Amino acid sequence: MLLAVVQTWPEDNQPTDASLMERILQRDSSALETLYDRYARPVYSLVLRISQQPASAEEIVQDVFMQLWRNAKRYQAARGPLEPWLFTVARNRALDFLRLKREKQRRREDSADFDLPPLAVVRPDPEGAVDQARRAERVRALMNSLPDTQRRAIELAFFEGMTHSEISTAIGEPLGTVKSWIRGGLLRLRESLEEARS
Amino acid sequence: MDCEQLAPLYEEYALGVLEGEERAEIEAHLARVCPHCTPGVEKARWVVAQLAQMAPEAQPPRSLKSKIMDAAAARGDVAEIAKAPLSRATFPVWAWAAAVALALLTGYSIRQMGNQNAQLAELRKEMKLATLQNNALQNQLEQGRMVASVMMSPDSMPLKLMPKDKNMPMVHAYLHPHMGVAITADQMPAMPAARTLQLWFVPKKGQPMSIAIFRPNSEGQIAIVAPVNMPRNEIAALTVTEEPSGGSPQPTTNPAWIAQVN
Repeated sequence: MLLAVVQTWPEDNQPTDASLMERILQRDSSALETLYDRYARPVYSLVLRISQQPASAEEIVQDVFMQLWRNAKRYQAARGPLEPWLFTVARNRALDFLRLKREKQRRREDSADFDLPPLAVVRPDPEGAVDQARRAERVRALMNSLPDTQRRAIELAFFEGMTHSEISTAIGEPLGTVKSWIRGGLLRLRESLEEARS
Repeated sequence: MDCEQLAPLYEEYALGVLEGEERAEIEAHLARVCPHCTPGVEKARWVVAQLAQMAPEAQPPRSLKSKIMDAAAARGDVAEIAKAPLSRATFPVWAWAAAVALALLTGYSIRQMGNQNAQLAELRKEMKLATLQNNALQNQLEQGRMVASVMMSPDSMPLKLMPKDKNMPMVHAYLHPHMGVAITADQMPAMPAARTLQLWFVPKKGQPMSIAIFRPNSEGQIAIVAPVNMPRNEIAALTVTEEPSGGSPQPTTNPAWIAQVN
């Protein structure tokens, strides 16, 4: 009986990120709830992968969504979809946490190294040409197709926040090799995403 | 390096792996809002953000959603979303009669609960006050983090704004190409309620541009971050003037603090 009256919105009728952000500006908390339902899982997955600590990941994700609630004005809808913006904010916060933790371990002293994420981080994505799931699948397939060491180098950069020379030291490969692996991997990623959009 | 040479490095810059000269070159182009590199790096950030898909899927704890929604509500700025009124025609007469009977019955009980309600209201009032204090502290903490972040960044240009009046303390500014300008000061004298301080970017050509309006806190400290909307190389000076409360479109007094930039 109850199931008969519960309706799910067809894909096309889902409110866009931009319209939800507009509603957040009007202080409509149900819009924040919808965005949470839409993005909490991938954002939490990313943050947990970086921080490796569920309690900290939870705190960081809360911080990211509260940032969205507090600073909705700073999200520039005209510049593109919300998802990469959220990923960038979440990654920066999680890497800040990681650096802070390492710094504390190293020096045993507090640091206030919280960085404000850049806000204009997304490119125009007209009409949302590539849906989330398809894009995610492409990224995973591409990364899985890379040789292990090349993928490892990119993972160290993205999830650990390491620079070229830090990665070179970490995996014991020459700096030039690390640079060409990362450059080559990113180029393939860009081409693959552009191909999917066209 | 020119834009053509930098273009293949955009993704690596967005990933954060670049070091030394290559990184500095891109940042120099971004600082002057280079028409090629700025959109190029934005696009690269989009590409790099997609690497998040490599993270193994994990389910956030169920409690997280309610924590976030509670935190949003605790800020006290959640809008009351208007609900459509129920149509009178959908209620038959017997339903109205039942509702009246129920109201009479519950009315008695409610009266009995009057004292508890008064106590509850008092507790709610105290909770609201505590929430407001907590929010104020959180805002202060966040502002402090932002200031620290700009101050500690190697990309920030530190500037000393010298006071015109020698009895006044020096104001420090840290100019970051993307994160904004942080302003800090200590031992500032209290200001009359009708006056405020206003920070201006004075361009090499044209009128001063208002950047921020601020006042020292009760302990005479200033710690703020304001967005930068002018390329660093176009800024001739930073000045602070005293203005009427609410600020002015253009300075109405002589600079009380000044620092030359370029």
